Amino acid sequence: MSAYGQREEMEDAALMLQAGAGDNEAFAVLVRRHQKKLLNYFTRAGVQYDCEDLVQQTFLRLYRYRNRYRPTAKFTTFLFLLARQVWVDELRRRKRQERLAKGLAAEPHPEYAAPVAADAGASGGLDLAQALAGLPEGLRQVVELGVYQDLPYAEIAAILKIPVGTVKSRMFTALARLRAHWEEKP
Amino acid sequence: MNLAAHLAALPPAEASGLRAVAERLRQLPEREPSADLTERILRAVNTEHSRPPFRAPKLWRVAAVLVATLALVALYLRFGVPAVRDAQADDGSCWIAAAQEADGTWQPARHGGAEAYRPALTALSALALDRADGRKYADPIGRACKALAALQNEDGAFGGNGRERYYNHAMTTFALAALASDRPGLKPVLERALAFSRASQTVEGGWDYEPGSDGNAALTSWQVRALAEMRRIGFAEAEIPLRKGLRWLRGTLREDGHVAYHRGTRNPSECLDALTAHTLITAGGAYAGLADLGRQVAGRLNPAEPEDVADCYRDYAKTLAFAAAGAAEQAARVSRQMIARHQAGARDQWERVGGRLYTAALTRLAVGAL
Repeated sequence: MSAYGQREEMEDAALMLQAGAGDNEAFAVLVRRHQKKLLNYFTRAGVQYDCEDLVQQTFLRLYRYRNRYRPTAKFTTFLFLLARQVWVDELRRRKRQERLAKGLAAEPHPEYAAPVAADAGASGGLDLAQALAGLPEGLRQVVELGVYQDLPYAEIAAILKIPVGTVKSRMFTALARLRAHWEEKP
Repeated sequence: MNLAAHLAALPPAEASGLRAVAERLRQLPEREPSADLTERILRAVNTEHSRPPFRAPKLWRVAAVLVATLALVALYLRFGVPAVRDAQADDGSCWIAAAQEADGTWQPARHGGAEAYRPALTALSALALDRADGRKYADPIGRACKALAALQNEDGAFGGNGRERYYNHAMTTFALAALASDRPGLKPVLERALAFSRASQTVEGGWDYEPGSDGNAALTSWQVRALAEMRRIGFAEAEIPLRKGLRWLRGTLREDGHVAYHRGTRNPSECLDALTAHTLITAGGAYAGLADLGRQVAGRLNPAEPEDVADCYRDYAKTLAFAAAGAAEQAARVSRQMIARHQAGARDQWERVGGRLYTAALTRLAVGAL
């Protein structure tokens, strides 16, 4: 197997350690492997047009950590911790620019909208996606990490810095709200 | 515990409903990354990689800084601050330089603008620093050029979609071409940018972000300025699209002497008149009659303050048009009004797009045109 092929087979943590030792190709494998997950993480957060910039920022932060990275937890836990920090920073920036945010909300540019499948509206997918994006941030984050990333609750608790019991209650509340929304639709 | 274990612990009827919701959520369509996302991320990472690593300051450096600070405080207590600040030191360039991000870009979102216009504002800020003092600011300008190269897409454009994609591209190409003389590394970047400019030019010769349009005068002016800069530094391939662009721009001149945003429409704008006049005079100088047409349009501009509304874009264009037409006194007058409004903190309608970076950079560029 070629060096490239070997890297493709390696675990995330091992690749990250290699990146810390100066192997940029190992880092490239991590980018290719996780960029779609991160892109959809930010898309589901309701980001309209600069999702890919946020993905880039997350990987830049990851790269800056390469020398300090220790595989004490799952790599994805660490990655989503960074993604969440990027998102929180983005939210803070947006809050400071309330005027701009209002303008964007009032006049969404059709070209900025995230692409959806042609049948999404017909099957209720669009409504559910909107309902998910409309959940309070604390609930939405739990759904994102527990449903989409399938992380154990202990890891979600570590990322969000909340007790595992709170993860459980938030997950239950979030799914119950989405279910109610789904069942209300004709 | 994970979601499956959590739901399994619930009463079966409740678990079944919640499981169905979770399953439905997982089936929602996912977004695919752009084809060039990996490459863009790795380019940004490589830019980061090339930066020197941060080193903690040594004790003697800390001590030196402390001594210098104490000396400054002592001087301040002894002499106070000068009553009149040096006008040259207050030209905005220090603020622009200090606002540069670690990655070499300028972030309009951090200054009240829109993130989507990061390439354009990075380009204008770097150009403003060059016009202020290219040698003094060589390092931040160089880092900005590298950052802009990293933001370039495979097709040669500089990021974004729709409207901002075209403005980002035209302004960034213009600035990079103006900065390229001492930076040979920009040549391949500009070659790709030129390819996008040519590909996006309409058959009639203009540029627009609206489908079906043959061009709009504002965007076409910026594209023409970019192509003229490229031709100036030796890109022979810029000649044909430049000539077509100028011809299209000439077609926007109406019988009443104003410029139409879209050919054949009536929507007078002093900003548009000024921008087009400047473009015709400077970029069209090599073509018979175009510079004269530009001077005629510039001659109709109002050198007095038209209204008490801050509009750096309009004032920047007017300063450039007057300066290019040889009306130095009028150019200086408009730029003085512009500086006064900027220093007074006047709110500008385009700040929602470019933030304070836009007003600072355009004010600095207008001053540099005098």
